[in-house]
Amino acid sequence: MRVAFGGYRAGFWWYMAAGLALLLTFAGIGLFRGSVPLDGRDVLAVLARHLLPGEHDPADPRVDAIVWSLRAPRVVVAAMVGGCLALAGAQMQGLFRNPLASPGIVGTSTGAATGAVFALTFGLAGGFLLAAPLFAVAGAILSLLIVTRIATRDGYTPVTTLLLAGVALNALLAAVNSWLIARSWEQYEAARRIAYWMMGGVTDRGWVHAGMLLPGMVVGCAIAVWFARDLDLLLEGEEVAASLGVDIERAKRAVLWSAAILTGSAVAVSGVVGFVGLVVPHLVRLLLGPVHRRLLPAAFLTGAWFVVGADLLARTVAAPQEVFLGVVTAFVGAPFFLFLLVRHEGEVAVSR
Amino acid sequence: MTAASAVTVAPRLELVGGGVERRGRWLLRGVDLVIEPATLISVVGPNGAGKSTLLRLLSGAWRLTEGRALLGGFDLAALPRRQAARRVAYVPQTVRPTFEFTVREFVTLGRYPHESRLFGTRSADREWIDRCLEDTDVLALAERRVTTLSGGELQRVLMARCLATEAEVLLLDEPTSNLDLAHGLDLLGLARNLACEGRSVVLVLHDLNAAARFADRVAVLDAGALVAEGPPAEVLSPDLLRRVFRVLAVPLAGSAAPVFDFEPLP
Repeated sequence: MRVAFGGYRAGFWWYMAAGLALLLTFAGIGLFRGSVPLDGRDVLAVLARHLLPGEHDPADPRVDAIVWSLRAPRVVVAAMVGGCLALAGAQMQGLFRNPLASPGIVGTSTGAATGAVFALTFGLAGGFLLAAPLFAVAGAILSLLIVTRIATRDGYTPVTTLLLAGVALNALLAAVNSWLIARSWEQYEAARRIAYWMMGGVTDRGWVHAGMLLPGMVVGCAIAVWFARDLDLLLEGEEVAASLGVDIERAKRAVLWSAAILTGSAVAVSGVVGFVGLVVPHLVRLLLGPVHRRLLPAAFLTGAWFVVGADLLARTVAAPQEVFLGVVTAFVGAPFFLFLLVRHEGEVAVSR
Repeated sequence: MTAASAVTVAPRLELVGGGVERRGRWLLRGVDLVIEPATLISVVGPNGAGKSTLLRLLSGAWRLTEGRALLGGFDLAALPRRQAARRVAYVPQTVRPTFEFTVREFVTLGRYPHESRLFGTRSADREWIDRCLEDTDVLALAERRVTTLSGGELQRVLMARCLATEAEVLLLDEPTSNLDLAHGLDLLGLARNLACEGRSVVLVLHDLNAAARFADRVAVLDAGALVAEGPPAEVLSPDLLRRVFRVLAVPLAGSAAPVFDFEPLP
């Protein structure tokens, strides 16, 4: 096993073990710490009652409600959202052969938000649990198709065109979102909730939200795994990939759908949590190399602990007030994005 | 260097009235070309004649606008990509890789048409990769990043990836352009051996003398058309070289293959 930064590769299984340890640690802190101080043994008792088989003493209903209905789903949803966004980002960076591509940068998240806002403001989300995620996935795939159509020529996606198309699409969709919310402003409470949701976070998310995310996550991950190897070959250009046996159109379509499903499902639950899909896959690629059979699962796990950790920060950094999760990830991610821009300065002008 | 495989007989690859149009311009048109099994055929022509385009068409990476490409009698476009890739391998002109695969990972990409989707490479695959690395003299570089290789090293790694596919028809676009003299000759020798073992090899070469010396047949392209095809001694005449390449070719005596000294036209 080789473990080092930059020149050598970290061992995959070491990396996954460390990531799992971090995820469990952050999740543990998230369960045991919060605005209401609880005794550690009570928390353990609640977890045992819900997770272990057999008979248990009835727990204090107040503690039970805080731990099992507030803190636990929040941690789980944060991990799912982070995993989905990071996986979608890893796929998009491979698909566009471009380390700056990600759901946030090229407008996929905003597109997903537009879909979800549409479903919410027109009252479609009330009747059917998966309405918001489905509309979000539709918004995500539409915005992805638009960006691909604009920025890709003959199988190549120049960095500048991709980023500019993303900027324009983000601006346009943000305006659409504002307009949709403004036109429902008479129902003040609903509009306020939607605006709040869009800023990105996992506050007050319950098991129902985990349930909303789960189908998309499973489908998205399955497609991602099935087409992981095709992404390796697509990195080498469409001509080479085709000559080595990749069905280019099918692979690209599958990866686009997978990224859109993952992004849409995550955004429908958490709003726009930026930069996860940009930073995480990039760092994982630095450590583990570009082979997607390792990169994709590692990105998913890293995204999970990253967002659970970021949510911990969001809860505690200005306690008792909460900071938006999207604010925390932006604080980490935006400087990183600028760093990438500087590092890739020479390549930004190059189109192939 | 030794050739890396058991004896195989390649399928016939042919282009019937092949033509391709991109953005309103015909890059190649009306090309009839047969690549017989166990033949080393060299494609020559001035810049922009359509040599790379011809290789892309033969590999199936590009669709024909008119005409047909046939592999063993079957329409190449109708064949599933994976199946075609097991029989025809294509090495494009060297492009600097931007993603940091190790040499071994990079060469393993060539196993794609043989891999299982879920389980990836098996140990038999890995042994085969080792042999391909050895045959192209890059085994020592196996753990290096492809982004750090010199042009010559990269070209040999690309050749290794091409061998990794186990394809019977190899299409190589200017495989010697970045190689020093010794490695260039090694590679041409390897191509020669592969052809002797029953594979078909199509080489785009700029060095006409090397083409004449190593190839069984030469195909001459000019302005998107095939102007001549046949054994080097018949095809490469001073007259044709003057017409197509606009050079004065002076034959040198004392060699079985035609060898020329080139001078600019007066």
